[in-house]
Amino acid sequence: MALVDREPSRYLPDYDVQAPKQLHFSPYADNGGSVVAIAGDDFSIIAADTRLSAGFSIYTRKQEKLFTLSSNTVLGCSGCWCDTLTLTRVMAARMQMYEHEHHKTMATPAAAQMLSTMLYYKRFFPYYVSNILAGLDSEGKGVIYRYDPVGHCEKNYYVAGGSSGALLQPLLDNQVGYLNQENVEKVPITKEKALAIIKDVFTSAAERDIYTGDGIFIKIITKDGIATDFFELRRD
Amino acid sequence: MIDTNFYSILTYNGGAIIAMKGKNCVAIAADRRFGIQAQTISSNFQKIHRMGPHLYLGLPGLATDSLTVLERLKFRLNLYELKENRNMNPKTFASMISNLLYEKRFGPYFVEPIVAGLDPETFEPFICNMDLIGCLNLPNDFVVGGTCSEQLYGMCEALFEPNLEADDLFETISQALVNACDRDAISGWGAIVHIIEKDNITTRTVKTRMD
Amino acid sequence: MSMPNKADCFSSLPFWQNGPAPGAFYNFPGTAASSSNYNDCGIQRTQTPMVTGSSVIGIQYKDGIIIAADVLASYGSLARFRNCERVMKVNDNIILGAGGDYADYQYLRSLIEQKIIDEKCLDDGFTLKPKSLHCWLTRVMYNKRSNFNPLWNNFIIGGIEDGKPFLGTVDKLGTAFSDPVIATGYGAYLATPILTKAYDANSQMTEEEATNLIYKVMQVLFYRDARSFPKYHLGVISKEKGVEIRGPIEIEHNWEVSTMGRNQLR
Repeated sequence: MALVDREPSRYLPDYDVQAPKQLHFSPYADNGGSVVAIAGDDFSIIAADTRLSAGFSIYTRKQEKLFTLSSNTVLGCSGCWCDTLTLTRVMAARMQMYEHEHHKTMATPAAAQMLSTMLYYKRFFPYYVSNILAGLDSEGKGVIYRYDPVGHCEKNYYVAGGSSGALLQPLLDNQVGYLNQENVEKVPITKEKALAIIKDVFTSAAERDIYTGDGIFIKIITKDGIATDFFELRRD
Repeated sequence: MIDTNFYSILTYNGGAIIAMKGKNCVAIAADRRFGIQAQTISSNFQKIHRMGPHLYLGLPGLATDSLTVLERLKFRLNLYELKENRNMNPKTFASMISNLLYEKRFGPYFVEPIVAGLDPETFEPFICNMDLIGCLNLPNDFVVGGTCSEQLYGMCEALFEPNLEADDLFETISQALVNACDRDAISGWGAIVHIIEKDNITTRTVKTRMD
Repeated sequence: MSMPNKADCFSSLPFWQNGPAPGAFYNFPGTAASSSNYNDCGIQRTQTPMVTGSSVIGIQYKDGIIIAADVLASYGSLARFRNCERVMKVNDNIILGAGGDYADYQYLRSLIEQKIIDEKCLDDGFTLKPKSLHCWLTRVMYNKRSNFNPLWNNFIIGGIEDGKPFLGTVDKLGTAFSDPVIATGYGAYLATPILTKAYDANSQMTEEEATNLIYKVMQVLFYRDARSFPKYHLGVISKEKGVEIRGPIEIEHNWEVSTMGRNQLR
């Protein structure tokens, strides 16, 4: 990690020694994982694979990477797992603080803004996590927010992120966004179709990406709450 | 989070090539951009070359090396055809490229060639690709190459099905290429598709986003 | 949070430090509050492990958890300390196994022991639970890594929580997860396949079956991991029998098969 090879606050030039600097320690790890989310008129679906890995070894085959923040907001994380753990815990704490302070649960757009702020707060020692936030907006419509590790936030209706992001995003552009398709009726996506697409794209990703596999957890967010589903993927 | 777009000479010019097997036919397609890093120079650059009646070659990678490799391959191919007085089998052609590339094992040409064609005698479909030092890969479905190979793998893995007729194969390969290129900053700016059948070769240019 | 500056080195220290802040019980090591001492002014070197322990393995069985680690603490390739226990009893429902830097483990062990004493002093009838220790340890490891001064360890935590077995792990970055089968170090490559196969075949192993399995796995590790030793400790925890640290258990070994080296030497 060239970005942070020394903790900035501890760098004291006056005390620098003229010795060769060894660096054996990197504070980051790439633990892989992919997240896909699709939003429709009255729902949003978010799914993440369950493999936690580092290099060529698999740590566990059943690690949930979706974090339910409220009754209509779910956060999906992939990347450096220790940062994910920390980020999601701070996030959950701040959701609770908001609830106590304002006597209501935080809305999805507010949570989305808060996440952006929290990521940027660590701009010079970032959380190495790619986040996707799924939920319902104030009118009950499905929304997805995607982030980069330092807090850039973008609202979308279909997103693929994590180790298979590059494989799956063009596929979603084509199949969900109807991009480059001529003479098609651009009908809003149904819950059933979104679910089927998500299962299909993860099956494709597991063929070519070694950091994605084993299974996927799916959360379906509607005004009635959050339903959970599980789907097996190849385990090799 | 594998970042294949780190600075590499292989991504200096950009571009994407893909080939697919169909039923008694093969397809090969490429984008038409030629650029220097982020700057687009031209949008009618030819990355696919006809090497015989049923033999096409795609050369993604560093453009200058592509041209050199192309000329040296033409030279060897011509010698072969003069000596043997017959068209080269795609398999043989692939081995020839592999040989040429491995000769430069420790100072390679930065190209990852893709071959698509039909056997001159049996008209059996053939596709293959190789890395920059000539390691051959001969799959039964599709091969991809260039700066958006990850995107292409994602598209192909979902869209491809075996034994497609020529028309359906055209649709599949075009959709795979165009949608993949749209998610790569240094590929796109038009596309060209060749469908190779026993007694018919169709070449179509595809309109794409130009940004 | 203030940055340490040069002037701070020479000003007097507060009368009382490292104690809990008013109204607080806990204190994570390595945070700004607990590390304000003279050392802050010098350069804190990135740490490298010195005396290290090798693999730790853990598996869930019918009634509980077994954790095993050998007794060797190596100094590079030198088998320096040949009687170091690496499995500890934390309290009546938690056991802990440690790999990596042995000094860092001893430091953490003293912290945990103090934590247990502090908790006893409260005398409220509550004791630390395995998931809580796992979570706490994750925070400690993450804070240390964030200060570029990691504890160079892999920990495996086993215990019983709400009548169910729990097995979790934390590494030097604070990467944490739980699974019925965990192995660290070379054990991740050599032990996990054997343990997973056995667990998938029969997840309701008896204690005897599990200890026999662990013996086999420790034997494999001894044969193939050059930084291992034919003596190990077992931490066994179950609902009925509580915590037991067994050992040192000797591994039988036989090198008759290695004819190649012998023939060459003759």
